[in-house]
Amino acid sequence: MRKLMVQGVTSGAGKTTLTAALCRHFFMKGMDVVPFKAQNVSLNSFVTDDGGEIAISQAYQAWASGIEPTRNMNPVLIKPKGSGQCQIVLDGRPWKDIGRGGTNQEMIEEIRSHILRSFDDLCLGRDMVVIEGMGSPVEMNLKDRDVSNMWLAKAVRSPVVLVGDIEKGGVFAGIYGTYLLMDEEERDLLKGFVINRFRGDASILGAGIEELESRMEMPCLGVLPYVRFSSPQEDSMDLRQISGGVRGEGDVRQRWIKELDGLLEKWEGTWDLSKVEGLVDRV
Amino acid sequence: MINPTTPVQDDSETNYHNNSGSLRSQMSRGYIHGDKDCPNFPCHHPDQNCTFCFCPLYPCEDPLLGEFVVSKRTGGNVWSCQGCHWMHRDDVAASLFKMMPEVGPEGLDLKVRMELKERLQGKHRRRAKAIMVLGATSGAGKSLMVTALCRAFRNRDLTVAPFKSQNMSLNSMVTDQGEEIARIQDLQAKAAGTRPRGELNPILLKPKGGVTSQIVVEGRPYRDTTVQEYYSKFVPDEAPAIIARNLERLMRSNDVVVIEGAGSPAEINLRGRDVANMYVAKLAQADCLLVVNIDWGGAFAYAVGTLALLDDGERKLFKGIIINNMCPGGGTIGSLDIIERKTGVPVLAVMPHLPKLYLPVEDSMDLSLHEGGEGATVIAIVRLPMISNFTDFDALGLEDNVRVVYANEPSELNGASAIIIPGTKNSVTDLKWLKESGMATAILERAGKVPILGICGGYQMLGRRIMDVHGLEGGVSAEVEALGLLDAVTHFDSYDKRTVQVTGTLDKAGGTVRGYEIHMGRTERGEASPLFIMDPDGRGEGMLDEKGLVMGTYLHGVFDLPAFRRYFLSLMGGPSSIATEAMDQDAAVDASLQRLAKEIEEHIDLDALMGDDDDA
Ligand code: SF4
Repeated sequence: MRKLMVQGVTSGAGKTTLTAALCRHFFMKGMDVVPFKAQNVSLNSFVTDDGGEIAISQAYQAWASGIEPTRNMNPVLIKPKGSGQCQIVLDGRPWKDIGRGGTNQEMIEEIRSHILRSFDDLCLGRDMVVIEGMGSPVEMNLKDRDVSNMWLAKAVRSPVVLVGDIEKGGVFAGIYGTYLLMDEEERDLLKGFVINRFRGDASILGAGIEELESRMEMPCLGVLPYVRFSSPQEDSMDLRQISGGVRGEGDVRQRWIKELDGLLEKWEGTWDLSKVEGLVDRV
Repeated sequence: MINPTTPVQDDSETNYHNNSGSLRSQMSRGYIHGDKDCPNFPCHHPDQNCTFCFCPLYPCEDPLLGEFVVSKRTGGNVWSCQGCHWMHRDDVAASLFKMMPEVGPEGLDLKVRMELKERLQGKHRRRAKAIMVLGATSGAGKSLMVTALCRAFRNRDLTVAPFKSQNMSLNSMVTDQGEEIARIQDLQAKAAGTRPRGELNPILLKPKGGVTSQIVVEGRPYRDTTVQEYYSKFVPDEAPAIIARNLERLMRSNDVVVIEGAGSPAEINLRGRDVANMYVAKLAQADCLLVVNIDWGGAFAYAVGTLALLDDGERKLFKGIIINNMCPGGGTIGSLDIIERKTGVPVLAVMPHLPKLYLPVEDSMDLSLHEGGEGATVIAIVRLPMISNFTDFDALGLEDNVRVVYANEPSELNGASAIIIPGTKNSVTDLKWLKESGMATAILERAGKVPILGICGGYQMLGRRIMDVHGLEGGVSAEVEALGLLDAVTHFDSYDKRTVQVTGTLDKAGGTVRGYEIHMGRTERGEASPLFIMDPDGRGEGMLDEKGLVMGTYLHGVFDLPAFRRYFLSLMGGPSSIATEAMDQDAAVDASLQRLAKEIEEHIDLDALMGDDDDA
């Protein structure tokens, strides 16, 4: 069982798309690959064949992997209900509502055990899993309640790739700061970084990338060019993004897969997929 | 005292003491502002105060204010006041005027002069305190933070100026002197209570489409450049001197200069080529604040990473980190002390998401931030690929019942109560897009049914054709068929750019309009009537078709004053549309600035920020 995890410097850094693209890539290479995201905060959900509710983005990632979505691809879904209330969907079924107080340690432990069980069920008999993290892995105030980033990477011993969005500016700082705030074991699992949404001639980044590579002692795996892509909502709460994708006729899923293939084509040569593949076994 | 025609002062002390008569007549003249009748005006800067043309403190021999130079006449050392802006500030001159004792035939003796200077110095800094706001990313909220600081310091009766060494912006405006600066610096000047001018934003880079940008220096078009050439030539060769001279002037004529950085200071691929961030911080020896947006997540990482990538000298300038855009009800964030442990810089404040203020947002291409309002009257702005000056429409979003949306494709014009074609960086290529995207057809279908307004480039597109024989817009010589809704033809026949602030009257309904023109090309109106009658010469501006439903104008900011806004909304008819209480935009901006200042006072200890260090 091979694993690879995608974590982001921020929300909306491109984790969802990158995870889908990796799923697609491994699927096209003939691997039996599945997507996994422990926890999602989203209003956009999808109902699986077995009647479970998961986030729509895992459903799309499943289609990219050539399989139908199942509820264990996204065991925890948090659905904001307004005025500080959230519904937690666990294993595809409403579990309980939480208020402003959020979760307590006891609930966290229970959620964690559900996540690991789903993960094991999902991976049974598969070649490979691509795991998507959530938000930033170094929100230091939330670390003891983490169920979706480094806690998971450690628990399942998965190598991690960090993606940063250059569009906002400060991407070097974001990537380096994320690394600096990780502990030894976490840095050990972190194998490389990717810069996303770049516009222009990537050679102007050269000096910066070299400096980061030597400071962090790990490779930059790619500078991915900006591609307009209607990803089904990153793990953000931004409602404005929801509308993307549905234009004209035809099956939206088919259309989206075609777009994803187009994206992979445009990314070709801008990232080192053989290096990425190499990481998978390096834990 | 100052002779602007020679850079070196030729006064000697003896010479000066013979002038005690001038000092006395100057006192009897009384306190004045700028002496615009003086043949030498302005000998320091256009906003100078001329009460003390002859300085009663001369020669103060204070190296923060003037300097010794070699006299051309005598060859000896002489005290020069050429660089002194202190004595020519309104507040300093007013204070000194009140303090002045009777001047006898002997002038003022040294002791009196020293005492006066001491007292004056106690009230007014000789060199500004520099505070710089840098962002961990773009859109971190730097611009608003600077705006808020400017107003808060202004509220303490300090003389304040905002400064941003280099701005890349599509939203520029024109000052009363015809200087072009980024709109956000104009707002910051308003917040600071100082005149908007090129000095505040000495380098403005305006993307022109493709790889070309126009460099505007001190408010005036300088030349066109490519990004490559900008960084390899302009930045190392020319930018430092431009930045230094403008910053120095501001440091010498204010109590506080609030400086804004650009993007992130830790773009390590640009080390040594970034003149908008730490370069300026070091030049001004500014107390730096790092603003980190918590909205996207990753705030811990950005704060720590940004500071870790700076060198020790740079890091030492940072006095605090401001976590910005905390969502309401977000509670407190634990573990913030980790940031100080890792970087040595404390977190000074966690600022809430600022309530929706009526202010143009930080220069961002994120138009969704400009979409606004909640009403049933939908005004669709055509989202041209090279759209510019989209702050023009912020005022509409303020009206009750109005919703401003950006239409990316023809179907998004459905149901719109009015359509606006906005300004563009390139009329010719955007007109091509308009036709190819089907947007042109959709607009033509609606002509005569809903009001259609073209502003600047949009106005040019509404006409019959655009003649660009020299290829100034499109790169190749072209004569382009436009939408033909207005009987107008636009010619691009010279590389001249019109940048001017204007006022006038709405021809149809009366009422004042105010705005500014920034464009190349001139438009010939056929028989149709103009939209506005401009001051002072009664020239007609813009035009209106026979039915009065298609309009074009070159005026940016045309909706800012209520008259035209009200008129435009009234054309949409229907019970839901007419705004009864037309709002005064200037008053709204000022109220917003006060709220902003209050917000920052609540979260940041500004007295501590100013410190008790004196200006020496
Ligand atoms: S205060 Fe300024 S003008 Fe007066 S003597 Fe000193 S340098 Fe000259």
